Amino acid sequence: MATIGLIWLCLVLFAAVAAPLIVPFDPLDIDPVNRLAEPGWPHLFGTDHYGRDTFSRSLYGARMTMFIGVGSVVFALATGGLIGMLSAYFIRLGNFLMRGIDVLMAFPALLLALVLMTLLERSVTNTIIVIGIVYATTTARILFGMTLKLKREVFIDAAICSGAGHSSILFRHILPNLISPLLVQASFIFAFAQLQAAALDFLGLGLPPEVPSWGNMLSESRIYVTRAPWLLIFPGLLIILSVFSMNMVGDAMRDSMDPRFKDDIAGV
Amino acid sequence: MLAYTFKRLLALVPTLLAASVLVFLFVHLIPGDPAAILLGDSATPEDVARLSREMGLDRPIYVQYFIWLGNALQGDFGTSVFFRTPVMEVIAGGAETSILLALLTMVWIILLGIPIGVLSATRHGTWVDQLASGGAMLFASVPTFWLGLYLILIFAVWLGWFPSSGFPSIHDEGGLLNLRYLLLPSMTLAAPNAALIIRLVRASMLDVQREDHVRTARAKGLHPARVAIKHVFRNALISVAAAFGFTFAALISEAVVTETVFSLPGVGRLVVQSILRRDYPVIQGVILVIVCLYMVINLIVDLAYAWLDPRVSLK
Repeated sequence: MATIGLIWLCLVLFAAVAAPLIVPFDPLDIDPVNRLAEPGWPHLFGTDHYGRDTFSRSLYGARMTMFIGVGSVVFALATGGLIGMLSAYFIRLGNFLMRGIDVLMAFPALLLALVLMTLLERSVTNTIIVIGIVYATTTARILFGMTLKLKREVFIDAAICSGAGHSSILFRHILPNLISPLLVQASFIFAFAQLQAAALDFLGLGLPPEVPSWGNMLSESRIYVTRAPWLLIFPGLLIILSVFSMNMVGDAMRDSMDPRFKDDIAGV
Repeated sequence: MLAYTFKRLLALVPTLLAASVLVFLFVHLIPGDPAAILLGDSATPEDVARLSREMGLDRPIYVQYFIWLGNALQGDFGTSVFFRTPVMEVIAGGAETSILLALLTMVWIILLGIPIGVLSATRHGTWVDQLASGGAMLFASVPTFWLGLYLILIFAVWLGWFPSSGFPSIHDEGGLLNLRYLLLPSMTLAAPNAALIIRLVRASMLDVQREDHVRTARAKGLHPARVAIKHVFRNALISVAAAFGFTFAALISEAVVTETVFSLPGVGRLVVQSILRRDYPVIQGVILVIVCLYMVINLIVDLAYAWLDPRVSLK
């Protein structure tokens, strides 16, 4: 299953990279004569209420999926990971930083995202930052626990005795041991970020409405659900398949992971 | 246990205070004059000046915070810009829908999550297990609003079995029968959560199955069903019970999307609409109430967990 998931994700990545070369129509081209056309030829997935080609928009949507997914993962792991590691290593600083994380975690995830989006303009970057912040909190907490465990291991004592400095211990001795749990965490954040971004788009607080993302496509065409149900089927299935694949890959990675950290990664 | 409970309650106070600072600062972080923001575009400069004075915006910000907090602690979050009624009344108006929706969703989650999870674990490795686990993973990957829209299309529009949107109070005409308005929304909200519970029940049953006391029970010739229920399930239930609590707490914010899809007059939809209407006193009020609820439920779950499982240290 994980292999199939990986193949699907590669296809999405390919679509994201090659979208401008392989789309049959411009995703923004309006064609009022052909609005709400059923799936067929030349519009494989039909057209929307402006007559835009759903297939081309779906391919461009793969770009947004990758942007949002990779962007939120990088943001969440970089900030959350650093906060978690530093907090566990410099425990006094940690007492302060982790309380801050606790406060952010007092807000339910989607609510935190909604509040932050209210303060910012709707844009791709802001959506990535907001989703990144939400998952940075969980990442920080998980990495805090793991780094605390690692800190007690003998090889860290050995490094200290041999005169290694703080940054050398943190980044050359502790970080390499955290790579596999970080990868697992990354896969789950990628999957959740898709669902969060789609929910934000749907509520009208995510990406700007003109951006062809799968979430926006669903949000725009929801009022046509009775007249043109296919408009929602394709973007919906694309989201489901991508999230499902990422979850499968994450599960497989977790199962093959370092047994020391099995209990720390939540994932569900 | 009592001392532990007290300590945990006490630890809640600084976090809640910090959260209240964030909620308070939220309106001040939005660029522009808060009074002008609160009054909306149609306000005259005189109105803005008057409200600024009334709100004490000319005073230092920490004084403003303490006045706001003092009022909030008495349940006074100010007046809604949109409804022109006290924020607390607006929130209370959505409470019935949201609470009933959450309870009904929990019923679905328990009815689906536990039996399927147990079945999946007892038939570990068979096609039943693979179907249940795969199905659960699939439902955890579905955007809730998408599922909701198709449930409306199939069961409300095509088949006409259930109403598609809205929810008249159970105190209105129709009484408890009005709960049928919440059937599709609760199923929508339950789907991804039931999926997580299925995975969790399965995982914790498999964990317990490996323990010595289960081998002993099997070795003394107990019926497999009896071992599964009395020895495995009962022990697995401890972590599952905690998950139910956390799920319930999470439902408060997840309901935002579902209530919007089904146009339910609940607290979740109130959040989104207030954000779109820029009704800041309501946003502040609702968020503070939800955060308090969320933290209290999480604390209760933690305490219940410590009480159920004596191995959890009370440090």
